[in-house]
Amino acid sequence: MLVERELIERARAGDAPAFNEIVFAYRKRILGTISRLIGRPEDVEDVAQEVFVRLYYSLDQLRSAEVFEPWLYRLTVNASYDYLRRAKRRSESRMADLSEQQVVMADSLAGGRQEQDEKQKSQTREFMDALFRHVSEEDRLLLTLKEVEGLSLKELEQVYGVNENALKVRLFRARQRVLKAYRTAVANGKL
Amino acid sequence: MTGNDDSRLDDLFHAYRAACPDVEPGADFMPRLWQRIEVRHSFGFLFQRLARTTMTAGAALCVFLILLNFVSPSQSRGTPPSYVDALLADHTAEKTYYTEAIRLTPPAENPAADGQH
Repeated sequence: MLVERELIERARAGDAPAFNEIVFAYRKRILGTISRLIGRPEDVEDVAQEVFVRLYYSLDQLRSAEVFEPWLYRLTVNASYDYLRRAKRRSESRMADLSEQQVVMADSLAGGRQEQDEKQKSQTREFMDALFRHVSEEDRLLLTLKEVEGLSLKELEQVYGVNENALKVRLFRARQRVLKAYRTAVANGKL
Repeated sequence: MTGNDDSRLDDLFHAYRAACPDVEPGADFMPRLWQRIEVRHSFGFLFQRLARTTMTAGAALCVFLILLNFVSPSQSRGTPPSYVDALLADHTAEKTYYTEAIRLTPPAENPAADGQH
């Protein structure tokens, strides 16, 4: 844990400086997690702030300081889920744009190395984002937490509050759905 | 083929992790956070006050209606307690039937009665 239990207790009691310390300790980690969960750097800070606002207003519901981290993860997952649902409503699938982006990538090979790297990263994010659009937000978040964030099944159990076997089944099914979308993308020559 | 796709997908997940940049919090992260907390707090406070007022008004109305229920029967003492009781107490209809039956009797069949009038 990044902070002392006593600090969490103080924040629960309404101590604003203690809450500030918790935010300082966790904000970078939460920003990183959200960045990988939603894949849109421009909106990461906004979602992170929403997580900490929810934390502030629900600290009194925390059972004990021991479960603080899984609980904070749960708040992060919920806020990311809400964001993704809103974003899904706003935009259409960008799968069709991928080929065009790759053409642009090939054209820019003459550019600087750093610029190329950045574009490749951006392309990877776009591609994963497009793949994730073919599965539900729940699948996306679960797979990202497991495969990208590297959370163990034990940790996921605490975040989701379900047993390991149920999680394994959900993970397997989510992975199958992403694989299906991946194969379709490969067959259509988008990778 | 399936195993191959699986491992490719794993590679893609790793590439995605590397492609997602570590986002540094902006300089105004904390002030903005507290601003958002304050906004929600003021909205929550307003909602709470409104809810409390509504609850108090509702409770007062309930008490008033209960009191009214107790007071009304005591004020209307002496009147029949219910419609059914009023009907049972009223015998005018039965009297009417008797009267009508007597009047409908033809005068020829009852000469004694005619003589009396």
